[in-house]
Amino acid sequence: MKPINIRICGFGGQGIVLSAIILGTAAVTKRGLYAVQTQSYGSEARGGQCQAELIVSDSPINSPATQNKDILVAMFQSALDAYLPSLKPNGILIVDPAMVTDLHNTTARVYSVPATETAVKLGNRICANMVMLGYFQEATGLITRDDVVETMKELVPERFHELNERAIDAGVELAKGTQIDIF
Amino acid sequence: MATSTTERAQRVLTGTHFMLGNYAVVEGALAAGCDFFAGYPITPANEISERMSQRLPAVGGKFLQGEDELCSIYALSGASLAGAKAMTATASAGYNYMQEGIGYAVAVEAPIVIVDVQRCRGENFASQADVMQMKWGPSGDHELIVLAPSSVQELFDFTIRAFNLAEEFRNPVIIMSETTIALMRERLVIPPAEEIEIVNRRYTSLPPDKYLPFKANEEYGVPDFAPLGEGYGAIYSLNPHSEEGSIDWNPDVFEQLYKRITGKVTQHRDKICKTQAFKMDDADVALIAYGSEVRPCMDAMEMARADGIKVGVLKLDTVWPVPEEQIIQVANHVKLAITVEMNIGKYTREVERLCCAKCRTAVATKNRGLVHFPEEVYAVIKEVWR
Repeated sequence: MKPINIRICGFGGQGIVLSAIILGTAAVTKRGLYAVQTQSYGSEARGGQCQAELIVSDSPINSPATQNKDILVAMFQSALDAYLPSLKPNGILIVDPAMVTDLHNTTARVYSVPATETAVKLGNRICANMVMLGYFQEATGLITRDDVVETMKELVPERFHELNERAIDAGVELAKGTQIDIF
Repeated sequence: MATSTTERAQRVLTGTHFMLGNYAVVEGALAAGCDFFAGYPITPANEISERMSQRLPAVGGKFLQGEDELCSIYALSGASLAGAKAMTATASAGYNYMQEGIGYAVAVEAPIVIVDVQRCRGENFASQADVMQMKWGPSGDHELIVLAPSSVQELFDFTIRAFNLAEEFRNPVIIMSETTIALMRERLVIPPAEEIEIVNRRYTSLPPDKYLPFKANEEYGVPDFAPLGEGYGAIYSLNPHSEEGSIDWNPDVFEQLYKRITGKVTQHRDKICKTQAFKMDDADVALIAYGSEVRPCMDAMEMARADGIKVGVLKLDTVWPVPEEQIIQVANHVKLAITVEMNIGKYTREVERLCCAKCRTAVATKNRGLVHFPEEVYAVIKEVWR
């Protein structure tokens, strides 16, 4: 397995960094893999551009900074505009169609995941990141559904567990029949 | 000190974690027996204070938010001389303010640990611009021990080592962190408590009337501590002082004092200076790096070797005192030594003086708030290696 470079981007408050932490924690503590996670965000508590980088590998990871990403998950248009150039030309682009409409004629393989719409149906748009996580793990097979749910419960306050678990399962449903080859 | 088994278990979170670098420092400190922390808020070091404020009181330690950096650094010496294992954490601009207090700790030989998370002029961008200040900040003759971790695992491991070295040599030890690793999450394996080596300070066995607080048994030795509140008298003054601890301006006494205070570090380089060599046996080119910059060097080494250029990496775990023997050994058998650092080119001067007349030297610098990409390091190798 060669290192997989993932960038998740959106705006502050969407749980972008948390998504990357849950993925990284699950990969390391549940799957015995190696992971490196970094992030950058504006000083605003809500709003402002936000991105998290995650490298996952089955061997120790050297450079924490990479120029070209294998996978870009974009949860907001301005974030996609900023970070699309960092995606490899034949990379994987996962977008939320309610938040991202202009894909700049990208040559990447595009997967459209209605995470925000699904989250609103579940009763709270704040769990769109969990829908995306559920989708991502199911479609890529990097970790398992139970890894994501268990890790979420370890890292998130209890009052959000039930909603988040439903959101993760909704994401799993959205991924049924989709297989994204990342290895 | 952490003595009871329960307290020890609470201090050491044995297991595999995906942890923030700043948190790993806290866990290392607790595993090493830290029982006093004082600090003043500053990014990107705040997560250290934040976690310490929750973890330390729970295991019987004391947490103090100082009103500024001066308060914090002097509180450290006070706590240390009273018997505590003491630590603070700050970032570049805050480290400026601490210099006077670090000079005091050197003079009174107080073991303290300082974490300096380097940043770029008020912003949370990565930098190694303070590598010289780490050591040369305080006025007066002094030696500081500065450790340079490259990963979250090393932030944990080197923090334990920092406490051990501080206790052994009665000297301030600096953990030179950076935004890159401090705000990065990574795999961290914390071993069982009984596998962690802990060094505690040596107390005098002499009665109070025979005890001299600044007398060492060897020319470059470390004086024994006086236990607090048991009738031992000691004045801890920044001023020139005799072995009795009295303020004394006698040039002979002064010269002897600072010969010992600096010599106890420089004469024990073999114990203090650690490096790691990678693929150096057949190398024509050595990349010499410290901190997070080691990581892109490791990738650049593989890229170069794939193209037939024999590159090795010398990783400096200790940057001060300079690991002179290890660098000279590399200089003696490579043709080119390239120092790789995230600043305008500073530590390269130390490397250059050691490589002088032995091998060619070059420097790869980057001062853009981000660690080198491997491709950038490799581009420098291709440019200077002919």
